[in-house]
Amino acid sequence: MTALSALLRRLTTFRRLRTRLTVLYMGLFGLTLILTAVAVVSAVSGSARRMVRDELGASGEVYAQIWASRSAQLKQGAAVLAQDYGFREAVATGDEATVRSALDNLRARQGVDGALILGVDGYASATGVTPDDAALDSLFNGLDSGQVDAGVIKIGGQTYQAVAAPIMAPVLIGWVVFTDRLDAGQMRNLERLSAIPLSAQVLSRGGAGWIGAADGATRHPVLADTPQGRSMVLARPLPSFDAQAPAALVLTYPLTRAMKPYETLFLWLGIIAVIGLAVIMAGTWMLSRDLTRPITALDEAVHRVQQGDYVEAVVASDDEIGRLAASFNAMIGDLRDREHRLTHMALHDQETGLPNRLALERLAGSQEGLWVILVGIDRFEVVRNAIGYDAMARLITAVGQRLTVLSDGGSISRVSAAVLGLVVVARDEDAALRIAERLCESAHRPFEVAGAPVDIALTAGVACRGGAGANLASPVDRAAAALAQARRLRRVVAGFDEAAYGDPSGNLSLISELMAALDNGEFSLAYQPKYDFRAERINGVEALARWTHPRRGFVPPDLFVAMAEETGHIRPLTEWVVRQAILDQKVMAAAGHEVMVSVNISGRLLSDDSFADFALEQIAASGARLCFEITETAVMDDPERALAIIERLSAAGVFVSLDDYGSGLSSLAYLKRIQADELKIDKSFVMGLDQSARDALLVKSTIDLAHSLGLKVTAEGVETPTALALLRGMGCDMAQGYLIGKPKPLDALIERLNGPAVEDQVVAA
Amino acid sequence: MLDGVRVLSVLIFGLLMTTVAHAGDLTVSVRDSAGRPVADAVATLYPASGVPRGPIRFPWPLRMSQQNIEFDPEVLIVPVGGVVSFPNLDRVRHQVYSFSRGNRFELPLYSRGETPTRTFTTPGVAALGCNIHDTMLAWIKVVDTPWAAKTDAAGNLVLRGAPAGAATLKVWHPRLAGRGNEVSQAVTITAAASSRTVTGTFNARAAA
Repeated sequence: MTALSALLRRLTTFRRLRTRLTVLYMGLFGLTLILTAVAVVSAVSGSARRMVRDELGASGEVYAQIWASRSAQLKQGAAVLAQDYGFREAVATGDEATVRSALDNLRARQGVDGALILGVDGYASATGVTPDDAALDSLFNGLDSGQVDAGVIKIGGQTYQAVAAPIMAPVLIGWVVFTDRLDAGQMRNLERLSAIPLSAQVLSRGGAGWIGAADGATRHPVLADTPQGRSMVLARPLPSFDAQAPAALVLTYPLTRAMKPYETLFLWLGIIAVIGLAVIMAGTWMLSRDLTRPITALDEAVHRVQQGDYVEAVVASDDEIGRLAASFNAMIGDLRDREHRLTHMALHDQETGLPNRLALERLAGSQEGLWVILVGIDRFEVVRNAIGYDAMARLITAVGQRLTVLSDGGSISRVSAAVLGLVVVARDEDAALRIAERLCESAHRPFEVAGAPVDIALTAGVACRGGAGANLASPVDRAAAALAQARRLRRVVAGFDEAAYGDPSGNLSLISELMAALDNGEFSLAYQPKYDFRAERINGVEALARWTHPRRGFVPPDLFVAMAEETGHIRPLTEWVVRQAILDQKVMAAAGHEVMVSVNISGRLLSDDSFADFALEQIAASGARLCFEITETAVMDDPERALAIIERLSAAGVFVSLDDYGSGLSSLAYLKRIQADELKIDKSFVMGLDQSARDALLVKSTIDLAHSLGLKVTAEGVETPTALALLRGMGCDMAQGYLIGKPKPLDALIERLNGPAVEDQVVAA
Repeated sequence: MLDGVRVLSVLIFGLLMTTVAHAGDLTVSVRDSAGRPVADAVATLYPASGVPRGPIRFPWPLRMSQQNIEFDPEVLIVPVGGVVSFPNLDRVRHQVYSFSRGNRFELPLYSRGETPTRTFTTPGVAALGCNIHDTMLAWIKVVDTPWAAKTDAAGNLVLRGAPAGAATLKVWHPRLAGRGNEVSQAVTITAAASSRTVTGTFNARAAA
């Protein structure tokens, strides 16, 4: 059932309304035609059958009459002969010649085919026919039984009508039998009597042509299958001499012949149906075309709108579809306007109306050989705070206009708040850089904003569209990186330097690996020895973290320390260093070397009381002697808290060292306030010591200053014996640098400590 | 009257035979298959010792009259050589004939009052018909033994005076099934009276 309905649904599902309407109308008309045809055909064939049935019945009656009348006639003739005294005498006395002549005589007179005498004792004498034994037997049996005196008999395969009359002499001595052949001619005569061209046969059961329908021979015609096809058959029983082979008159009329007169009618009916269907189809097709044309137009319009082509559906009608099309067109207009606005917004900066970063990226991606130049306004926030947001927007617009003029009408985009971008065509990077430089020079002339001149400086970054840079696919991104690089290098313009840019995304994964690395033992400590001029030996080391990555190998300390600072991983890293330093100090002590171990403490941790708690707890628990190296700048963010923590550390016996002194702001105010025990002069001064008299002077003054504040002084970056000698002369307390020793693992350090002091080596060298 | 004469004749004949041959009577009853008595059946007895020579006489008249377009009697037993008279008692004329083998004859048309005769010389049956009236039918049984009789309405007859000893009893009837419408049986005649019942099928067609 479901399969049927599915099939029906599939059959009635059309892609086009027009096909559907046409098929529907044709189907309905076709159904009507079929019903009409069924009614006509059944009425006609019913009438034809009735007519044939009546005709067969009538013909059967007629033949019965003919049969009876012929039988009576023959019987009369036979009786006349049988009762003739002379004939009887001839028969009784066995005068065969006389008998045969009498038979011949009467046969001619009656016009019958054959005549014979059949004695009750079985004697037979025939003329005109030659009855075989079987025929004589059935004739005798039939007559002897007294049941039949007229009927059908088969003689030698031929069917005869036989009529008998008894010969009484005076008792029955035999019969006179007349036989008349039921031949084709007689049947044709019978057929001619009928109004319809039926075929008549007299058949005996078991004989050729006998049909099943004749078995139940009735007076009513029945439908049966015959060699001529399905036919109407009337089988009218006839008396037979042979009880085993009943005979019947069979009238047959094939139905096809009965329907033949109506074939023309059916043909015309078919022609009318075909013409009607064609007319309906053409009519519906044309009608539905008018109906579906506007719908098709709407459908096509919707498809084109889907593809972004805002077309209007052309529908002229003013019916429902026309109104729908009008609404559709209005909607499409609105849609188009809205999309234009959205597109404009997506590609333009709302503040200045300039194209935005997206627009620049599209432009940059449009063709090969293009260079992206990003022009950044230096100290943007400072300027903006000075002149206000509105004026800043106008300033940027003004900058954009000037850049447009300089770049021969190129489109200027606002990439970010402080950055404008454009695309230029240049032969190579140098050419692009020259263009960028010219653009930046344009800012030498102040900009007029609301009548007031505003002075700004511009920096530019340049990147090629198809250039290298797997880590930055977008040329705009590369140009932005170049801009940042230019600023870092304090240059006006810079091209994108991939090597300097590095692999930030790779660093990102490094950070996530850092914590695991601490646990996995990828970290180790290296120690750089510090030489004590007074003690003339190494009595301190600076602990430096080293990370050997299983895949990347040696990771630069600058990289992972800076990263750890920025991502908040500096605390676990420092805690690990502190623990390890304490452990290593014990190892050194066990080797017989009392050495102060310095640990670098990030400025962030100086505002973290819980870190101080941790450090003091560790130190107290182990009794270690540690020095925390801090920088001045670390104190600047939150001075009060940092100084308090430094005081706590100092009070607990932790040696505090001021690192990198001289490289930063080197505030005397902080120098005064920080409870430090040592001051480390930045290596930039120490390394120029033996060449620069000014540096020597600065170092000497700093040493004196520190000493006067009660601080010990360590010089970093001691690489030459000259520098070492100079520092000794200046009264420096300790020296650190490659000359004293490079950072080395614990076991190498212990070996170094076991060896001679640096002085000996230097002297020896 | 006629019956009385016949009974008397039989009585006389029986007395004669008794005195002559010292024999017992044989009563024959003829019955059809349903046990019903059959009239006009003719019984003849042939002793094994043979039939006495000499003319045979029967006590009934050898006459076949025609009256009311019918033969009377229907069955007539005639000794060989017996002369049968055919008196026409009707007002119409008759033409009596027989095509029976051995006893073929024809009496040309004759009128009332005329009594043609005919001598039957061949033992057997003569089926009598009238060429004018098809429905008229009678039988003349020509016998060559003095012991012959036909059954009465009760289907019985008595054969008297046959010599004791073995004999052949034959029964004929126009509708009795059997060769020549006749059946035969072996019987033994004793001094004492005996009886015999003959049962047959009586649906056969009479032989011509």
